[in-house]
Amino acid sequence: MADDAESGLIARARAGEHRAFAVLVRQYQDRVFRFILRMVGARDEAMDLTQETFMKAHQALPGWRPETQFRTWLFRIAHNAALDVLRRRERIEFVSLSDLSAGEEDHALPDPARQPDERLADRQSIELLERTLQELPAEHREILLLREVEDMSYTEIAATLGIAEGTVKSRIARARSAAIAGYQRHSGDNRDD
Amino acid sequence: MTDQPTPMHAPDLPELSAYLDGELDAGGRLRVAAHLATCPGCAARLAELQALSAGFRALPEEKLGFDLAGVIEGRLAHAPRPTAARGRRDWWAGLPVAVGAAASIAAGVFMGSTLVAGGAATAPRMAAMRVFDTMPPGNLCIGLESCYAKGSIK
Repeated sequence: MADDAESGLIARARAGEHRAFAVLVRQYQDRVFRFILRMVGARDEAMDLTQETFMKAHQALPGWRPETQFRTWLFRIAHNAALDVLRRRERIEFVSLSDLSAGEEDHALPDPARQPDERLADRQSIELLERTLQELPAEHREILLLREVEDMSYTEIAATLGIAEGTVKSRIARARSAAIAGYQRHSGDNRDD
Repeated sequence: MTDQPTPMHAPDLPELSAYLDGELDAGGRLRVAAHLATCPGCAARLAELQALSAGFRALPEEKLGFDLAGVIEGRLAHAPRPTAARGRRDWWAGLPVAVGAAASIAAGVFMGSTLVAGGAATAPRMAAMRVFDTMPPGNLCIGLESCYAKGSIK
């Protein structure tokens, strides 16, 4: 549920006050952009999609209900916009759990002597993680972004993606597993270079 | 050999992952924590998940780089307003247009009815129909009887 200040802004925006909607845009523009950018991978496209997300949100405002959290509602629009683009590009891949788990056991566990935060701290690690993320199927990428970057709860993710909370739990686990496998694979590639 | 049944290895990955996210209930949390204390494999798996989360937190915070709100405001100023809001507030705004349209239709119906019902609307004499005569109007008469007969009509 939206807080009082946000609810007030939404009510004024629904009544036709553009300035109130502009405040909401300012509040969320970077987060929506970041999510879309990592979903579609192209900056210009992400900028256009971010703008279209807010225009669609404004059009859909009469249908927004106060019991719905504005952030999840907005991210749902962004998620749909990003998926539309990916579908057009035919980049959506559906990977079965068995496919994902097949190669995971081959990878060595990380060095327990190092602290978790240290392992991915350097620039190269960040680049590898970005690369790994881009290679994940869209449904894994989006759920990781919502959980790890947007810090959404399972309930919020379920509302954003329109899926059951049980599905969120299992899909996040699969997505994490795939991300770790991909990251370790790329780390191995780099060591071999 | 042992008589004790082999315990099922718990927790599975979704449970470990939910444990990391703080999404397990109190009982689940205690159970996973107790298991982690005695299972190096699961502890290492949890460390991998924690490392991944740390990696995501280290990702650069990309920014849009300009004030989108101003752009959106400009676009909204020229865009039609959302349907429900318009329905609530502007129902009276179209009233003059509706009254004008109704008046135009009424005037049209009235004028049409006077033309049809008045009886004064008689068909005009169709002199132009003479173009279908054997001799088109304005042609020279070449001495046929019909020419003179037609002239006598006048």
